[in-house]
Amino acid sequence: MTTPYTLVDWVLGDGAGWLARFIGAILVWAVPITGFVSFVGLLSIWLERKISAHIQCRLGPMEVGPHGALQTVADGVKLLAKEDIIPADADRILFAFAPMLAFAGTIVGFAVVPFGPGLIVADLDIGLFYLAAVGSLEAIGVIAAGWASNNKWSLFGSVRAATQVVSYEIPMGLAFVTIAALAGTLSMVGIVEQQQGWIANWFLFRNPFTWVAFIIYYIAALAECKRAPFDLPEAESELVSGFHTEYSGMRFAIFFLAEYAQMYVVSAVAAVLFLGGWYTGIAPLDAAIGGGTAGMVVGAGVIVTKSFLLVCVQMWLRWTLPRIRLDQMMYLCLKVLMPFGMLTLVGSTVWEHFLPSPAIVKDGGGWTGNTVMTGVVVAAIGTVALVAYVRSVIRATPSLRAASNS
Amino acid sequence: MSAILDAIRAKFPAHVMAVHDRLGQETVTVGADGLRPLVEWLRTPEGGSYEFLVDLAGVDGMNLGWKTHRFEVVYHFRNMENGRRLRVRAALPAVDPHLPTVSDLWRCANWFEREVWDMFGVRFDGHPNLKRILTHHRFVGHALRKDYFVKDQQWLDDGAESLMDELGDYGENPDDGGFSELVPVNIGPAHPATHGTLRILAKLDGETIVKAVQEIGYLHRAFEKHSEVGTWTQVIPYTDRLNYCSAMLNNVAYCAGVERLLGIDVPERCQAIRVIVGEMSRIIDHLVCIGAALVDLGALTNFWYAFAIREKAYVALEGLCGARLTSSYVRIGGVSDDLNPAFIEQVRDFCRELPKAVDDILGLVKKNRIFLDRVVGVGIMPRDEALSWGFTGPCLRASGIGYDIRKAEPYSGYDRYDFSVPTRTEGDTAARFFVRFDEMIESMRIIEQALDKLPSGPVFSTDRRVVPPAKTDVYKNIEALMNHFVLVYDGIKVPKGESYMATEGANGELGFYLVSDGSGRPYRVRVRPPCFPIFGALPRLVEGSMVADAVAVLGSLNIIAGELDR
Amino acid sequence: MDWSTIMWWVMAAVTVIPAVMIVLSKDIVRLAFWLLASLTGVAGLYILLGADFLGFTQVLVYIGGIMVLILFGIMMTNRDAVLMRRGETTGGAMLTGVVIAAATALALLKVVKDTKWKEAAPVEMPATTARVGEALLTDYVLPFELVSVLLLIVLCGAAYIARRRPEET
Repeated sequence: MTTPYTLVDWVLGDGAGWLARFIGAILVWAVPITGFVSFVGLLSIWLERKISAHIQCRLGPMEVGPHGALQTVADGVKLLAKEDIIPADADRILFAFAPMLAFAGTIVGFAVVPFGPGLIVADLDIGLFYLAAVGSLEAIGVIAAGWASNNKWSLFGSVRAATQVVSYEIPMGLAFVTIAALAGTLSMVGIVEQQQGWIANWFLFRNPFTWVAFIIYYIAALAECKRAPFDLPEAESELVSGFHTEYSGMRFAIFFLAEYAQMYVVSAVAAVLFLGGWYTGIAPLDAAIGGGTAGMVVGAGVIVTKSFLLVCVQMWLRWTLPRIRLDQMMYLCLKVLMPFGMLTLVGSTVWEHFLPSPAIVKDGGGWTGNTVMTGVVVAAIGTVALVAYVRSVIRATPSLRAASNS
Repeated sequence: MSAILDAIRAKFPAHVMAVHDRLGQETVTVGADGLRPLVEWLRTPEGGSYEFLVDLAGVDGMNLGWKTHRFEVVYHFRNMENGRRLRVRAALPAVDPHLPTVSDLWRCANWFEREVWDMFGVRFDGHPNLKRILTHHRFVGHALRKDYFVKDQQWLDDGAESLMDELGDYGENPDDGGFSELVPVNIGPAHPATHGTLRILAKLDGETIVKAVQEIGYLHRAFEKHSEVGTWTQVIPYTDRLNYCSAMLNNVAYCAGVERLLGIDVPERCQAIRVIVGEMSRIIDHLVCIGAALVDLGALTNFWYAFAIREKAYVALEGLCGARLTSSYVRIGGVSDDLNPAFIEQVRDFCRELPKAVDDILGLVKKNRIFLDRVVGVGIMPRDEALSWGFTGPCLRASGIGYDIRKAEPYSGYDRYDFSVPTRTEGDTAARFFVRFDEMIESMRIIEQALDKLPSGPVFSTDRRVVPPAKTDVYKNIEALMNHFVLVYDGIKVPKGESYMATEGANGELGFYLVSDGSGRPYRVRVRPPCFPIFGALPRLVEGSMVADAVAVLGSLNIIAGELDR
Repeated sequence: MDWSTIMWWVMAAVTVIPAVMIVLSKDIVRLAFWLLASLTGVAGLYILLGADFLGFTQVLVYIGGIMVLILFGIMMTNRDAVLMRRGETTGGAMLTGVVIAAATALALLKVVKDTKWKEAAPVEMPATTARVGEALLTDYVLPFELVSVLLLIVLCGAAYIARRRPEET
């Protein structure tokens, strides 16, 4: 594609045989990505503990390492050393297979997630479509886990997971299509390169509908990751621990890791689709950094930072919101997100037809009439939505209703 | 003799065996066959509109010297309009004692009668499900009978009852032509949402609860039997463990009950102290309820906000009586220690910080669409059913009945304070939450007023029947030494008689029905636990809703297993 | 042997072996997971043929959608009932199966034998996504829309069947 070279070519040089390329790909990509997933897991779990602690007026882990940074490592060692328990009447093969399936289902998503310019395992033509396709693989692992555990609570968790993941793929897909229609490509790298230049070129600011698409995507992504308020498959106060009730030790750790890896994947995808990927959003800065190794390093830093910021937002939401109920989860998907998703798709394409974005100017551009219009419309819709929301809350709460009447 | 007792005597001359109104408590004793007509008449307007069955308990009169009968089943009624109470004692023979059930008139009688059957072996004819409730289903004998020796232990290890007979058939759902299948699921006793040890067996269609039955007794510690073994004073530590979230309120309830039977008054300063510690306990209890229930809804952060402020209350109480959870602070005739200046300062700090903490928790939920969707309209207890189910306290007030014993029948000088009784009309889970939020603020106001006009003086009654002499006297004075010795060894001699004392516990009406035979030991200590009838109504609240709703409802009811199972 | 031949063999094995296991397996849930593996193999074959869009459509629709629904359906039924249906195969059924399988195999073998296979020169496959999209919106727009309408009807029908009718019960 448009990148100067891929990492494998860079390491091996052109003209290497397929076997060399195959082994090279394993060494250059599979091993580091597994390492990166572990790193993401460790960092995210530590972040989760610290963020939750500070939200809840406490300190969180402080003992192992500076500010408890090594606590997760210690816990990992503990989980490794724990007894591996398989319930008596469980389906032993599926029980052992399920965590692997869940983890594999998550990690294949990394294949099309760029870590920087040129830092992508495979810049598939159909990258976005690939993501949508493999997004549900983890759910199959979860379903297998719930069934194999021979526990009703696990089974309920699995059924909830299946319902949730299958349903939320649709609004997520609509958000994908909205961006794909704007970008004219499904390639992740292609989508990022459309957002070069000033921050106004990010798809988030492209037109007012992409704002909505971003929100729809983010909510659907929360549901795909089974994070609060969509943590129904593991809802510990309802289903004990949901699909991983019977899992302990390393198998549990793998589920845990898969969850955090998936959080990173969906956040990185949000960064690619809406937040300019590896571009800083400041055109002269990007130009100054240029391509090559420096661009690769800075780009990697930018996209990983953006992704982790979005991961932190997921955590923030988790420690703020109560859990939604099963029927409300379906209501939100089918009656709120899906109509809005379709509206977004149609609206965005119509907007682009009548108010097309200017051709992207590599070293500048950006602030145009379109941007201003977008800002005005977003502000107006936001205000209306806010007023409507506050009014609905006042209507729903008797004490507030009384207070506003008096 | 009051008008109602005369009317009863005139109306049922053949059945009434005795009437009395000692200690101002109107009491009728009737024969077993006169019970049903009497209570039916009492519900009517000419019978006095005694529409609320407060409590139903058994008494074994084996050692009381009753001539005509051995057992009595004691019904406590209350007229909700004028607040009059009436006690009806149904006399039963020693052999095959049985009574007609009243569970068709009052829904809460279902469980109360099961408990009497379990503990005394009194059968209730027409009862829909007369099974043991607190003891194990294989238990032999009836534990609260006086001829059941307290150390007669039984080895029961064959697990829990299946309860499938109560749940009925499962399999295909007849309601939709057998299209969906029903699955039985045990929620508890070891489930994250059943704080303590409750068991709910639910029949599910998908995630909808078609039918639910509960089993309790996992935390049964034979509180009432234990109380009969020691002296009156030795019961106090056991009361701590009833509702362990608000031990002070239990202490106050029990001691006030004994004091009523003794006919003594405690000094005003003692009353004010009891109010302060009691209201702090109430706030703690509500904080625990709200925090834990919100955790059940998936909102974990509120729990920490609630427990941060709760910690301040516990630190203060710890400085006062040395214990955090199980305080044993209140004594018959007083309290164990006077307030110390640090305590007053800590309580004032606590009152200053509480509104902020309540606002913090409310700020996360009050306008939160997800929270409101989860609780508004969920688990509705209608106003006209709430009394029949025996609801009291915040759960009753959430259904629109502003019954608060602190207002209705003030004790411990609650009439000296200005506070209101928060009431809501919806009767749903949200209402139960918000009533508790409002009550915490009212309790805080009471504490502040009590601190502001804290009377000086002693914290103990001067009645020699209950108060041990000062230690200096015991060491120097033979009379004081003897007095001390007798008080410790024989216990407080409570005059022969019976008394029911209602107080406002954190969960509702916490009543102690005490029977004394004149010795130094309690003859019968019956506690009316507010949780017990409330938990009995759980199927009414959750059937037809989803598992997640059941968890939310359970959290809002604040079932404390220690009080439920005793 | 080159890269694509090796991958072809791998994918063929991933398709066929689980397919055999589907026939032999008696546990309905295991069977569903074998089906999953077989479908993955088919998707791999598509990708090897250069139809990457089709391959991932296979993953999205069959694995992500249909497989999840199959598992969903199995799990919604009573577990005991599922496990009890590991019925014994009777002799007559066995015989019928063998006859039908043999006939099918014969027919297939004959087709393979009679077909004049041409060996085409390997061509570099261009990206298929854009062409699939174009084809769907130009030449095949009528069938495409008809299928959409059909799916919509199916959706309405399913919703109609599934909705609660409290007045009838």
